[in-house]
Amino acid sequence: MRVAVVGKGGSGKTTTSAVIARTLARRGLRVVALDCDTNPNLGISLGLGDEETERLAAMRDELDAGDAEHAPSWDELIDRFGSDGPDGVRLAVVSRIQNPEPG
Amino acid sequence: MLGSADFGSAVVIADLEAGIGTLTRLGDEDVDVVLVVVEPTPNSLEVGARAAALARDKRAGRLIVVASRVRDDSDLASVRDVFGDAEIVVVPDDPAITGAEREGLAPLDVAPQAPAVRTLAELAQRLVPDGG
Repeated sequence: MRVAVVGKGGSGKTTTSAVIARTLARRGLRVVALDCDTNPNLGISLGLGDEETERLAAMRDELDAGDAEHAPSWDELIDRFGSDGPDGVRLAVVSRIQNPEPG
Repeated sequence: MLGSADFGSAVVIADLEAGIGTLTRLGDEDVDVVLVVVEPTPNSLEVGARAAALARDKRAGRLIVVASRVRDDSDLASVRDVFGDAEIVVVPDDPAITGAEREGLAPLDVAPQAPAVRTLAELAQRLVPDGG
């Protein structure tokens, strides 16, 4: 099951994503939360805290600064560059390579 | 992007970038459900309407409109005006959410019983019913 959450900034998109992700994880489902926003703060709404959220964002920026040949696969992004949040939600901040700019 | 990834049995919740950029780049059938989150303001409803139209064009699965920060009937009417007979989940305006945001904490941790949080938890159940 793949759920995309979309909307204008500040509309409640991230809160919606976070509550749904953790509610499903509490039931024992494996949940992967992907933060595709240019201003990634899903970690805060999931309860990972400021520091860990910023660490993930900084890592994403580093990945984006690197060259595309060494870009991580989806598995790597989630396994190596993700973080476990409350209730076992696995959070990854999606890099520009996975989430390309249009054109 | 999302369509090329194998997430196995995991439920994937993708918080897309603000606006409709990521949605324009989703392939057909990349996702099973699109949640269009709007608040009852003209700008937010306009972005939401474009997102809903795109999701329908792309046949991106089940479309659910999440009307957030709804204070009264007139707020809800403004959402219904735009989305007609779409499936709409009404999330009440709730100071507990704003409070959690201000503290940098998860709404589910600080206010699990707040009406907005409970509504979103119920939506999660609807998306993946027990045993599903």
